[in-house]
Amino acid sequence: MLATLDRRVLLRAVLVFVIAAVGVTAVLTMGGAAEAASTDPSAAATTTAATTGGTNIIAQNFLNGIVFGLLLALASVGLSLIYGTTGLSNFAHGEMVTFGAMLTYFLATQQPVSLPLIPVEFTIGLPFIPAALIAVAIASGLGWVQDKVLWSQLRKRRVGMVQQMIVSIGLSLALVNLIQWWMGGRPVRLIQAVDPRHQYGPIQIGNQTLISVGIAVAALVGVAFFLQRTRLGRATRAVSDNPALASASGIKVDSIIRIVWIMAAGLAALGGILLALYQQGMSFDDGTQLLMMMFAAVTLGGLGHPYGALVGSLVIGVVAEMSTVWLPPDLKFATALGILILVLLVRPQGILGKAERVG
Amino acid sequence: MDILTNVLTTAIAPSTAAFALAAIGLNFHFGLTGLLNMGQAGFMLLGMYGFAISLSNGLPIWLALIIGLAAAAVFALLLGWPTLKLRGDYLAIVTIAAAEMVRFLGRSQSLKDLTGASSGIRGIDYKEPFETLSPFPDSIVTIGPISMHGSRSSSWWLTTVTWGLVILFSLIYWRLSKSPWGRVLKGVREDEDAVRSLGKNVYSYKMQALVIGGVIGAFGGIMWALGNSVQPDSMGRPTTFWLWTLLLLGGAATVFGPMLGSVLFWSALTLVKGVAGAVIPDTVLSPTELEPFSLVLVGVTLMLLVIFRPQGVLGNKKELAFNG
Repeated sequence: MLATLDRRVLLRAVLVFVIAAVGVTAVLTMGGAAEAASTDPSAAATTTAATTGGTNIIAQNFLNGIVFGLLLALASVGLSLIYGTTGLSNFAHGEMVTFGAMLTYFLATQQPVSLPLIPVEFTIGLPFIPAALIAVAIASGLGWVQDKVLWSQLRKRRVGMVQQMIVSIGLSLALVNLIQWWMGGRPVRLIQAVDPRHQYGPIQIGNQTLISVGIAVAALVGVAFFLQRTRLGRATRAVSDNPALASASGIKVDSIIRIVWIMAAGLAALGGILLALYQQGMSFDDGTQLLMMMFAAVTLGGLGHPYGALVGSLVIGVVAEMSTVWLPPDLKFATALGILILVLLVRPQGILGKAERVG
Repeated sequence: MDILTNVLTTAIAPSTAAFALAAIGLNFHFGLTGLLNMGQAGFMLLGMYGFAISLSNGLPIWLALIIGLAAAAVFALLLGWPTLKLRGDYLAIVTIAAAEMVRFLGRSQSLKDLTGASSGIRGIDYKEPFETLSPFPDSIVTIGPISMHGSRSSSWWLTTVTWGLVILFSLIYWRLSKSPWGRVLKGVREDEDAVRSLGKNVYSYKMQALVIGGVIGAFGGIMWALGNSVQPDSMGRPTTFWLWTLLLLGGAATVFGPMLGSVLFWSALTLVKGVAGAVIPDTVLSPTELEPFSLVLVGVTLMLLVIFRPQGVLGNKKELAFNG
């Protein structure tokens, strides 16, 4: 039970991911070749557009997909850990993502800001990095508060899982509107400066994005290290496997769950800040939109499986970005959600999930 | 006084009735069968697209109605197929994802000719066939404190038809929930395995409930569209969450729950907005902040309801064991 992650599972996951990526790329390249072969002038136009300025559109979209997938993974790892340890599908997780970005803006902006119901405007204007760090810290604290005030009480009252899920929906509705009330309906930009893109072979990427990816990878490796190597992490995986047994062997299930909440909220806030940088803005309901992607990722990877969230996020990110090569960009998310439904048809336990009866 | 008139108008408005209708559909899903459909707004949206697109292409109104309802039925079959064999929360995730997909497709520029993209379909393109059926005068009619148009848009005509449908479907719900078929569904809600061990095909029963509830939801969507216009963004996730709130408020698994819930929900919302707008000074709560403020209250109400009174106003706590 406490054994390290099964190597076969990991191999299988990598294999599935590589095959999926290769498959998607192959289909797209062949589609592109077929289009080029046809005499349709619009198709010819697309192919020329695909290679302008030495940038290969397929490689570029693949890279964008990986970047988006990594940032999505930051947000969805927490969702998956919460599901694993408590069984709750937390619909209010998207708001934690928005909250991270909004709080950073609130702390860092030079514009006057205010709080709901308090008719005083003021400016805090911290430099960006301390503001982001404080925002992540406050968000983690909020995760602790949320669990202390709400979820642990519900667990104590033995409120059913379905009811808890509906409670989280109510919380999501309340929070998203609270954020709109607080920050208004327009998207906010965390950093005003435009991030210039540099050309590396067939792809372009900005420095800011590179740093974001670095932070995301470091955070994800940190989570993996925590889960694999530390006592607390091992206890977390034990609770995730079987709470009753974990409790019987002397693990304090409730404090483990609280740590998971703190981590989940902090990671979501960090993901939100990085996403706001990557997309150059965040509006009050972006996190709620993203929740769909997170659920798709977590379900795809295997509900409750911490590494499943990573694999699922990368697949969703790549699929969403690659689809824009041949589908209109406003159908990006619809495609990703379509993939989710298809996967549930074939493999309902997700890519990494154990083959078990789930109904 | 103005506030009270507003509240009264909202209470009987056709959109309130349309929400009651969609909530009756949700009651078939959740109240009767225990299915977690988090995408009822998607069913409504599909219904109104089917109806409005058919009408604006010159089909007769009865055919347009059938197309709208059939679209929802097919959608239900598609969603139920992969998920009804799985645990309840899979259905929740897939229905919410699918409803969002419908909305994304609807507002996509690539389908602009059909759906009008994010600006939707204008009322004049499809309302006329319904409005010409109206026996009411073609002018403003005032009854008591309420004035509405006789037959255009949110009219007395639409009010009569929509509330008539609400009563009709409540009757159908009442009959069906008392029938042997309804008892099997309640059995599925309470303990699926027990029903399976009696030799019933649980999958098929769940599918039937999903289709029926979805079709009623589409009906609600069509009636809503007749009072407003077809707008993909007005049928997003919040709409589904409102439906859940008002269903749980009135009482799930009851005949009058959806009706009462819808009236209470929308009247309370109008009342809160009216009172807050009148009492709280603009510097503390500006008019643009009223909407999010009242929705925060809706969210908190939903949480409190589920925690402290899951059976709602009318429900029976024993009946609603929330077996997910």
